[in-house]
Amino acid sequence: MDIKKNKYYKLWIKDAWPYITGAVLLSLFQIITLATTGNPWGVSGILANWGAWLYETAGGSVDKWYYFSSEGARRTLENGFMNHGGSLRNLGIIIGALAATLLSSGFKFKKIKSWKQIIAATLGGLLMGYGARIGFGCNIGALFSGIASLSLSGWVYALFLFLGAIIGSKLLVKYFM
Amino acid sequence: MKEVELDCLGEACPIPLVKAENKIKELEIGDVLIVQIDHSCAMKNLPEWARKEGHNVEIEEIDDGEWEIIIEKVK
Repeated sequence: MDIKKNKYYKLWIKDAWPYITGAVLLSLFQIITLATTGNPWGVSGILANWGAWLYETAGGSVDKWYYFSSEGARRTLENGFMNHGGSLRNLGIIIGALAATLLSSGFKFKKIKSWKQIIAATLGGLLMGYGARIGFGCNIGALFSGIASLSLSGWVYALFLFLGAIIGSKLLVKYFM
Repeated sequence: MKEVELDCLGEACPIPLVKAENKIKELEIGDVLIVQIDHSCAMKNLPEWARKEGHNVEIEEIDDGEWEIIIEKVK
């Protein structure tokens, strides 16, 4: 039998899951993460460590950087990638997303359309990365985990995330379309 | 009755949706708008928007990671 015609292949692998299924699963797994590791789920803070490791591999040193000056941060950097739970989790997210795309035959190398697209993506990435570090978290660590932990800061983050998204959308339509 | 193609290949959300919204305004009732996309999120939000507007929508898988959203303007 052709797997592409299989009902469950279509339901579970091929078609996108409803938002509500995703929401329930994310909630469940973030509870498990908090309960087992003692830390709320986060994504972008880990990327700062990846940046530091890359920088050190290239011969740089972050010894004097205030961001990495705490005892915990130093120890994490010294122990390396394979001993850092958060890094392995981020790696898992990337592998999982790739697997989901491949299994649904949805993988494609996309063409870069214009220079504008490169500029927009670079600017957007820099602003998001900078904002996530200066705000002590991204939409996962500060928003999702914040609200899930009944922290007021998560709701404040949500309010300004919406304001930022509105301004960003207007700029996108005005300059990049 | 005409058929209009809208090339949104290589565009990420929300650009395909905004482009489709603008394009369908230029069309007459009965015209068909074919939006070409390769961003899986657009496969969710484009049909959702078009159906909410009351248009007829069909999704066609063209290739791996490439789809056409066929929207018939009905009002």
